[in-house]
Amino acid sequence: MKIRVDADLCQGHAVCREEAPRVFDVDPGTNRVVVKVERPDESLRAEVKRAVKYCPTRALRLEED
Amino acid sequence: MSAAIETPAGAAAPVQKPGKAPPVLSGGWPLLGHLQELRRRPIELFARVRAECGEIGELNFAGSRVVLLTGEAAQEAFFRGTDEQLDQAAAYPFMTPIFGRGVLFDATPEQRRQGLRNQSLRDSFMRGHAEVIAAETRRMMSGLADSGELDLLDFFSELTIYTSSACLIGKEFREELTPEYFRVFYDLEKGTDAIAYVNPNLPLAPFRRRDRARRRLVELLTAVFERRAKQPSEKRELFDVLLSLKLPDGSPRFSVDQVTGMFISMMFAGHHTTSGTAAWTLIELLRNPEFGAGVVAELDSLYADGSDVSYQALREIPELEGAIKEALRLHPPLILLMRKVMYDFHYGEWTVPAGKLVAVSPSLSNRMPEHFPEPDRYDPDRYKEGREEDAKLFAWIPFGAGRHRCVGAAFAMMQLKAIFSTLLREYEFELAQPPTSYKNDHSKMVVQLAKPCRARYRRRAR
Repeated sequence: MKIRVDADLCQGHAVCREEAPRVFDVDPGTNRVVVKVERPDESLRAEVKRAVKYCPTRALRLEED
Repeated sequence: MSAAIETPAGAAAPVQKPGKAPPVLSGGWPLLGHLQELRRRPIELFARVRAECGEIGELNFAGSRVVLLTGEAAQEAFFRGTDEQLDQAAAYPFMTPIFGRGVLFDATPEQRRQGLRNQSLRDSFMRGHAEVIAAETRRMMSGLADSGELDLLDFFSELTIYTSSACLIGKEFREELTPEYFRVFYDLEKGTDAIAYVNPNLPLAPFRRRDRARRRLVELLTAVFERRAKQPSEKRELFDVLLSLKLPDGSPRFSVDQVTGMFISMMFAGHHTTSGTAAWTLIELLRNPEFGAGVVAELDSLYADGSDVSYQALREIPELEGAIKEALRLHPPLILLMRKVMYDFHYGEWTVPAGKLVAVSPSLSNRMPEHFPEPDRYDPDRYKEGREEDAKLFAWIPFGAGRHRCVGAAFAMMQLKAIFSTLLREYEFELAQPPTSYKNDHSKMVVQLAKPCRARYRRRAR
């Protein structure tokens, strides 16, 4: 799986970091999401899916390889 | 008019050949243009643009040229515009006398981006907020009898003044507030007549009441701050800190008038919006009792194990969430979102020159039949798995979209879930008027429920 970010939409709510801290962070300078692992391990799928689902601006997408 | 507008230094405007001017909607009056139609039948006016001009058409609000973009593609272009090209600041002249000068919209886009990082809206604070909202709802309920009648606008307006101030400003500050505050806010919200496009300071009743309300608010807050200065509390809340800041010469950094403006601007976005949505959610659930019964049953079963609202309101409550989203779709609190064009805005074969406004209407968009089958039908099942009609990011737009999408959207949804989790398990409601008599008052730019809007309540048997 691969994570896609729509940078126009991110507002830095940091919900993704709460849900999947190993995959997402928020840059304190730009206040935008940082994807730490673009292709996360399969074992992280559940938390990544939650991050995508609960993003308040729906800025994240999950693509299958 | 456009002579004063320059492309910001460093951000070179993309060079593109100017396209056609968007068509102008028929029926404009001399001087006032479409202003009177905007003040009387705004939603019909926007629908007329789409029917007559297609996805782009120009309106005239007493000399302000407003180009309305409709349909998913044109709306996406609007929402993806950058701050440098499409500026929110100058687009809402009716708000300036309410916030006051030097408060919200005088900063550069970059300063505003920094300022918008309201830490209190961060996800990690939500659980504490849910607890506060449930407690405030219980306090409002303690003022109710076992059965009776209430005014939905007043009830939810008062409740959301308390919840917003407690969550966004501070719990001690909230304790200073009385019912007079929600009445003052009502006059401020009613002071958003679109005639402000002619002049926001005309000697008209709504503007006089607006200015009186703002002066009263400064008086009320002055007394609050003086009291707090005399009895210093252990806990320094937002306003205590702001008022204690000094300039190098020792004079205060912010006046009480400016802090009042900050209070209004912090409260404004979350007040009439949440209170109106709470009222419409309840009205629609009572008009559509099959869904109303489903929501009550869902809440009863979710909380049957004694779980707390502060826990549950942050989790999924699908029937209730669908009911709220559907109230938002049919009755969006903001009916027109606007930006000022800072350098030529191109869409398709059209160009909107700098100086004009561009706009999108959530009321129109949320009922586009190509995205929302049977658009006028209240159907919370639209959001269930498989349909998910709110996934159309640039069509389902009660909260706007793009980088200026309502930053409080998640807070608002949680707040509404906490309110109804508390209210509907304790009381049952019934419409006190004919179902079709509940209407929004569209005569002002800030939409409010029109009075009368009464409902009967009765404490549930336990």
